[in-house]
Amino acid sequence: MSGVLTAKGLNKRYGKQLAVDHINLAIQPGRIVGLIGPNGSGKTTTLKAALGLIPFEGELKVLGFDPRTQRDELMNEVCFIADVAVLPRWIRVREVIDFVEGVHPKFNRRKAKDYLAKTKLSPDMKVKEMSKGMIVQLHLAIVMSIDAKLLVLDEPTLGLDILYRKQFYQNLLEEYFDENKTIIVTTHQVEEIEHILSDLIFIREGKITLNTSMDEIGERFAEVMVSSDNYAAAKALNPIDERTVFGKTVFLFDGVPRSTLAQFGELKTPGIADLFVATMKGTYA
Amino acid sequence: MNTMKWLLKREYWEHKGGFFWAPVVVSGLLALLTIGSMLFATVAGNKGGFHLDGNNSAINLQQALNDISDPQKIEFAKGLAVGYPAVAMPLMFTLGFVVFFYCLGSLYDERKDRSILFWKSLPVSDRDTVISKALTALVVGPLIAIAFALALSLLVLFCLMVLAAFHGLNLFGLVLGDKNFYLVILQILSLIPIYVLWALPTAGYLLFVSSWAKTKPFLWAVGVPVVGGVILTWVNALAGSPFVLESYWNIIVARGLGSVFPGSWLGQVAETNANINPDNAVSMLLANTYGMLGTANLWIGVVIGLVFLAGAVKMRRYRDEG
Repeated sequence: MSGVLTAKGLNKRYGKQLAVDHINLAIQPGRIVGLIGPNGSGKTTTLKAALGLIPFEGELKVLGFDPRTQRDELMNEVCFIADVAVLPRWIRVREVIDFVEGVHPKFNRRKAKDYLAKTKLSPDMKVKEMSKGMIVQLHLAIVMSIDAKLLVLDEPTLGLDILYRKQFYQNLLEEYFDENKTIIVTTHQVEEIEHILSDLIFIREGKITLNTSMDEIGERFAEVMVSSDNYAAAKALNPIDERTVFGKTVFLFDGVPRSTLAQFGELKTPGIADLFVATMKGTYA
Repeated sequence: MNTMKWLLKREYWEHKGGFFWAPVVVSGLLALLTIGSMLFATVAGNKGGFHLDGNNSAINLQQALNDISDPQKIEFAKGLAVGYPAVAMPLMFTLGFVVFFYCLGSLYDERKDRSILFWKSLPVSDRDTVISKALTALVVGPLIAIAFALALSLLVLFCLMVLAAFHGLNLFGLVLGDKNFYLVILQILSLIPIYVLWALPTAGYLLFVSSWAKTKPFLWAVGVPVVGGVILTWVNALAGSPFVLESYWNIIVARGLGSVFPGSWLGQVAETNANINPDNAVSMLLANTYGMLGTANLWIGVVIGLVFLAGAVKMRRYRDEG
């Protein structure tokens, strides 16, 4: 098996709108991949295609299975949160735990209990009595207790406060993740997942605009603060972004050797958020 | 894996209101009504205000019961021994409604509240999910309803016999000694397989509409056949009756939508059973019911029901939820 997820010419059309535009993609096992894009960029659609939730065109294999024809087999190995607050409103905490334990061979009840013990959820509570954040906590507790080869999380922490979000990503990295697992996660709070990602994919208007490992980012991208006398020389190297800080200009370069840039000042590896803003310019224009 | 067991439990948890509490309430009301009126009758009867045989001879209940001859008493006990479950008929009618709306909602509601995205994240196939819903509607629901029906019937029967005994009419020996008293329970249970087969087209159709409708599944499920009938009536009126409307209403509307009501198959039986008496009532019911197995009506319905169920599976599987 070559990759956890391989897509060739993946295409999804809603009416005349191309939501996913001939995407090619290969995700290797043992990675934590951040799929980052503005609203309506096609990231959720791509994930839903991979999970067999929507029809699509092109070639797509997830763990060696075609999500269109082998969804049942695929679901034994994959776990996902595809949307916020999708737990049925009538169900109780103990019922959903019992049910998942009953139907999922890879569910670990003890783990789920441990996660739930860190929340205010009680076994008899119904989902409809919970706040949005509590529903997310319950859903995450279930998902984290399933030993899946691939975990797909679409905006998993929406509605959670910063304390719980930090703790969740920490748990994800330290307790859940290992080299046999792969995690694909989308979120708008990019800074919070920066330190746990091994790979980064930017998606914009249905196309992948960046697909790189976090290690490569340091080699490929550099940020340098340039004084006004060096402005023209630095600008000539085609920075992908510039902004002004304290009267100086900060340039963001893609693929310019660090040795060339070092003459202008101290180099810095840009954060995902800065990269994101730089590459997504004009999205809502 | 006992996935199916958990799927059925899941359905029961979600729809406990229809499958458990509805029969609880209806049985409670029926018990109150029947036992209450029996008590009222004895009280009124003791005061002598009881009118029997339509003549205003104002005898009291005690005398009336004492006047019953032995052959009459035996006839009465025989009737009771076979007929006592009849008091629970409204429970079966309730079941029809519960099953109807359960089927119509189950695959629609999970899309409406988007919980389908949770259910589909588990290793449970669409086929098993749809089967679990059909089983809940056609087997689990009826079993619960029958359990309540029998409990209620026995309660009412025993209250009646106790009250009668207080007034000098002891029916216990005759009723409990009648083999029909026990047989009728088995015979009622034996109706379930026929109910499954008979109700399958309606349940399948409703589940399919439930999996397909974007909004308002009730309007689609009921509105389309009814509007179709109205249009045909209209065409008939204008164009000199090219359609046989009676069979349209019978087949599409009554059979198509109404088959989830238990016993609705009896309406299809030829009326050759005029001489029903306590001795042959149960066997007659069974003969009529199992006679359905020999009709094309039943089996065509089964095929149509299975096709609709397969359609519901496909819908749930391939429907674009994006």
